[in-house]
Parts: sequence; structure tokens; C-alpha cells
Amino acid sequence: MATLTMQDVTKQFGRKVIAVKEFNLEVQDQEFLVLLGPSGCGKTTAMRMVAGLEEVTNGRILIGDRDVTDLPPRNRNVSMIFQNYAVWPHMTVFDNIGFALKLKKMPKDEIEKTVKEVAGMTNIDMLLERYPSQLSGGQQQRVAVARAIAVYPEIFLMDEPLSNLDAKLRVSMRTELKAIHDKTEATTVFVTHDQSEAMSMADRIVIMKDGEVIQVGSPDDVYHRSASIFVADFIGTPPTNFLEVDVKSENGDYRLVNPHVDFKPESHISESLRDYDKKNLILGIRPENIVLTNQKDAVLSAECLVSEPQGSHQVVAIQLDQQYIKVIASAQPKINPGETVHLAFKQDTLRLFDPETTLAIGD
Amino acid sequence: MIKKKPTSLAKIIKSTIFYLFVTTLGVGILLPAFFLVSLSFLSTREAYQFPLPLLPALSAKYSLTFGDRGYLLSVYDDFDDEYQTVLDTAELEKMSVYMRSQIGAPYDIPDIEDRIAELESGTDPVYFKARKNLLLNYDLFFKVTRDAVPALIRSLQIAGMTIVISLSIGGMAGYAFARYVFIGRDALKFSVLFVRMFPGVAIALPMVIILANMGFYDQPIGLSLVYSVGSIALTVWITASIFMGIPESLEEAAQVFGATKFQAFLKITFPLALPGLAAAAMYAFLGAWNETVSAIILTQFNPTFAVVVYQTLLGAVGHVNLAAAGGLAMAIPSVIFTFFIRRYINQMWGGVTV
Repeated sequence: MATLTMQDVTKQFGRKVIAVKEFNLEVQDQEFLVLLGPSGCGKTTAMRMVAGLEEVTNGRILIGDRDVTDLPPRNRNVSMIFQNYAVWPHMTVFDNIGFALKLKKMPKDEIEKTVKEVAGMTNIDMLLERYPSQLSGGQQQRVAVARAIAVYPEIFLMDEPLSNLDAKLRVSMRTELKAIHDKTEATTVFVTHDQSEAMSMADRIVIMKDGEVIQVGSPDDVYHRSASIFVADFIGTPPTNFLEVDVKSENGDYRLVNPHVDFKPESHISESLRDYDKKNLILGIRPENIVLTNQKDAVLSAECLVSEPQGSHQVVAIQLDQQYIKVIASAQPKINPGETVHLAFKQDTLRLFDPETTLAIGD
Repeated sequence: MIKKKPTSLAKIIKSTIFYLFVTTLGVGILLPAFFLVSLSFLSTREAYQFPLPLLPALSAKYSLTFGDRGYLLSVYDDFDDEYQTVLDTAELEKMSVYMRSQIGAPYDIPDIEDRIAELESGTDPVYFKARKNLLLNYDLFFKVTRDAVPALIRSLQIAGMTIVISLSIGGMAGYAFARYVFIGRDALKFSVLFVRMFPGVAIALPMVIILANMGFYDQPIGLSLVYSVGSIALTVWITASIFMGIPESLEEAAQVFGATKFQAFLKITFPLALPGLAAAAMYAFLGAWNETVSAIILTQFNPTFAVVVYQTLLGAVGHVNLAAAGGLAMAIPSVIFTFFIRRYINQMWGGVTV
């Protein structure tokens, strides 16, 4: 159990490609941290540098107080779960799990004890004599997990471990991985591009884009207080709706205006609008924060384009010029395409972004 | 009652053609092989009979009677169903030699004397049987042919060295091609095949000069170097594709779980690549073992087994069965090696190939 510190870590491939750029991160002891970002954002490279599978171009990596920047993987006391499981096909499940222990020259009976213990934790104790090719994808995944637990690492690295599983198994493995984390209390770094996976598992989420950290925060932070347009768009299904608005001042009040909406936001936003008078801003609002209302209170009225019933709720889409706005409404009453809907915004959830920097304003 | 599924005409025709094709192919491959095997066990007399016997006889039936010059020896012929006179002589030693070398069913002089005694005591003619020595041709081949046994050993040495050289160099190159990206990788990978474009005869003269300069002319090591050039190219391609098929993450996992880079290769990648390495070894062995043209040119006093067989074939105009025995003796090691290596090529883990 230990903390993990990455200081100004940079990874450069060749002369031009910078995969990770001045990456700074502190992972607390026993924390479950998720690196989240679209593919190619450098999250896996960042993790592989922690594992020692990728050389660090610049910067330092510390596990606890140990500087591991230049240590080979075997001396870092980390363990890793790979995206394709990477269980060794020519070894039985037992040998796969016991591989690391054998290399450590642990006595045989102790290896057997440890292997049985972790196999029990991951529910594969019946499969120890089998070869990986005789196992299902989910079972191979458990072998990979058991192998990673068996070494009692200081840092647990998981590289998109659930992405090869089918949708249903993925959700149940999520719960199991989280339970195992709670049991082993190992500091965990989990890489994924699936934002719902990140939201459901993480203590903290690190959102990356183009090799840089965009935002670090709890799932609530990144969801409700997205730091940039990118984060607001990346997190959540359906993603945040964006509207271009102009700021207009009227008797000392600020109004947000575009051809479809014209309203005066609540005071906490007004404060930050002072610097943006007569300028252009991007208004971000999450689908569940747009509410159906009557004509009198409506900020926006439009014709429903399609409605997608989801059982517990329905997603109503309307079209404004070239853009779709999605609204999450309660399942009843059902809204039919062509029906006019009157919408209001939950004022305290509005986010405003500067179109130039794409960053949120007013924080 | 179970109703039989109606078979369509097209299906019948299709399967008929299929089996005809398979049978033709099988006969085309098996018949010459069978012919060679059978021929190698035939005695010289049998080998030049018409029609040629399908299988070697296991014994010979002789009859002995008085002849013009002494005694008349006849051998029973299965096809004609009668005894055919083969020898008329009074010299018992000549008779015995003839029985041993031409009929392949040896009969000692004292025994012949016994039969003559029987003949003279009134039984005429005397019939007797002798067991055939089936391995006679092989025996003869190794005894008569100038240094067949040393040549066999040399050939094994050459094949072994070729495997070691081409697998170590070609295997390493294959691993590099599979795992690392470097400038000119594809061009280099393609260019290793260039060496296979030149026929051995075409580059024989420079080869002789180069090997002579190195002091390797007429040496097993020289030949195995020449063979390695070709088989390294093949080994590179085989092993590169095998290593490419083994995910790098398997090695990385081993490194994370406590192995050095070398241990990761040895414990993970190597066993997984074994089938491919075995296949490459097989190609290297067969290439070195069967090659004749370069061996003829690049050896003088220390020929390989293939050269010896070739020379026997040229010199054995009256002994086609002897050449067959030599050919088969040459085929046996490569067949054994192929079957032995097959186990590794088909290696499976838990019933499913990797």
C-alpha cells in the first residue's frame, strides 16, 4: 500500500509525437483513481510508464518515497491487469497465478496457499488445473485479476480490463473489481475510455486529452462542475447540450440571448458575466437539467423531433437550427414527435464556457 | 420409420469427383514410395525379372540336379510357376556366392555338400529352401559404397549445424522483425529472401573460392554455412510471423510479475513459439539433408550422404535395387526427424492450439 506520485512526466515517441505532456498526479494511499479519456489521449501510456513498460522521457515517478523512474518493471512492486488479459496460454491457471511467486522463490506450500486464497477471492478455485483456452473470457479475466492480487502489490494498475467483456459481464465485473479493491485496499489506477465505468468505480477521475490532464476530481466534480467544454461533452449520456449565447446588459442585469432563448440567469452567474458583456459564450446544460414546463415559464419552446423511451425515462430531442438538444423527461406523459414542448432550465446547474479557451467561467 | 434423406445428383457427382481426386493424389504419392521401398528389399534377380514382383519373396526355393558342367541349380519362379535354371557349375563356392548375392537367399557350402550327397544317393532332383536376407541391399550398400557411414555422419553433422546456425541467427532476426520498428525493416525483411533467388549451381564457383579462402572447402562446416544462408531467410520469415502472433503483452505481463526481459522471453515467448521454431528446424534439416548439387561441387574427399547416394545411382547400372536401398536409407533420417518434430509443430495446450 502506497501513494503514487508523478512529477512533470513526459513521454515522447520519436521527435514529434508527445504522448504524455508534463503529467502531474498524486494518487492517495488506497485510492481508486481512474484515468479517463478518448482513445489516443495518452492514458494507457501514462499507466505503462508507472508499470515500467515504457521509458519516461522526462520527469519522475515515485511509489511511496521510492523513486522508481528508472527501475525495471519487476522491481517496482506493482501489478497489472492487461486489456487482453495476457494470461499465459501454455500454463495452467495455477501456474499463471503462481508465476510471480515462483520467481520470488517462495516455498511451494506457501505458493499453494496464496494461489488458493486469491483463487477463492476471484471464484476460480475450481479451475486451477485448466488451461486458459478452456476458460471463458470472464474466467480468463478472473485469472488475470487473481494473478495481480497474488503478489500483494503496492500499486494496482488496470488497463481497460473490462473492455473485452460483453456488456452484461462488464457491469458485474465492475462490481467485483470494486469489491476486490475494497478487500485488498491496494492503491489502484484504472484506465478506461468508458465514462460510465469511470463514474461508477472511481474515487477520483483524471480526464485526459491529447496527453494533458484536463480535469481531476470526484465523479460528482467532473459531472456537475465540468472544467471545460471537452469534459462536459465527454462525460454523461446523452452529453451536455451546448448553446451559443450573447451576453447583453439591460439596466445592470445581464441576459443570455440567442435567436431561440432570451433569459436572465440567476445571480450567481450574473457575477461572472460582468467580464463578458457583449461577448459570445457557450451555455452548457445537462439533459436532465432541462425540465418540461408550461408555456408561461418556458425559456425555450420547440417541436419534438423524436422521443426515445428508455423505460424509466424518455429522451426527447428537439432541433434548433443545425443542432439537437436532448432532454431527459419522466416516462409519463409520453411525448410524441411533432408535439410542441415548453422547456425551462434548472438555473443552478447552468455552466458557461468561454468559446476561446473552452474553459468554464465563474468557478 | 426414418425417412432417408434424398441425395441430390450434384452431391453424388461432387463427392465422386472429390474421392477420385483424392485417390489419384494418394496413388500418385504413395505408389512411387511403395515401389521404392519394395525395390530396396528385392534381390538382384528379382529386381530384373519381368514382371517385377510387387513384394519381395521371404524365401527362395531351390532345386538341384546333375548338369553338363557339374550341378544344375534352379530357382522357383512364382509368376511362371516353374523352376528356372540359373547356374550350371561344379564349383560349390561359386554356387554359394551366387545364392547369396544374386538370389539373396544364402546357403552355406557345407549345406550344399549335404544336398549334393542327397542327390548322389538317388534323390533327383533335390528340392530345398533357404530364407532370404531382406536387408542384403542395405548391407551391401554400406559395405560396398565408399565411405557411406562416414558420409551419413557428416550429413547429420551438417544438418545439425545448419539447424543451430539458422535457428539462432534467423530466430533472433525474426524476433527483431516482429517486435521492433526500425528504419528499413520491411526492405530488410524482404531482402533476406533475395539469397534464395540464386540457384546453387549459379553461385557455386564464388562459393568454392570463398570457402577455400576461409579454409572450409570440403568441410562439413563450410557446407552448413552455405545451407544456412538459404534457411536463415526461411527461418526469419517463419519465426517472425510466429513471434508476431504472440502478443507482446504476454511478455510485458511476465516482466511486471517479476521476470527479467530474458526470463520473459525464455519462459513465455519461447515455449509459445516452439511449434514455429520446430517447423523452421524441420525446413533447415530437410534443406541441408536433401541438398545434392552444392554438396557435389563443394566437397571432394568428404562427400555428404546425398552425394554418395547420387554416385551409387550413377555407378549402379546393374544394381537398381542397391540404389533404392541407398535412397531409402537417405530418406529414413528425414522421415524420422519429420515425425519427431511433428509433435512440436502440433503442440497444443489444453486441447486447443494457441
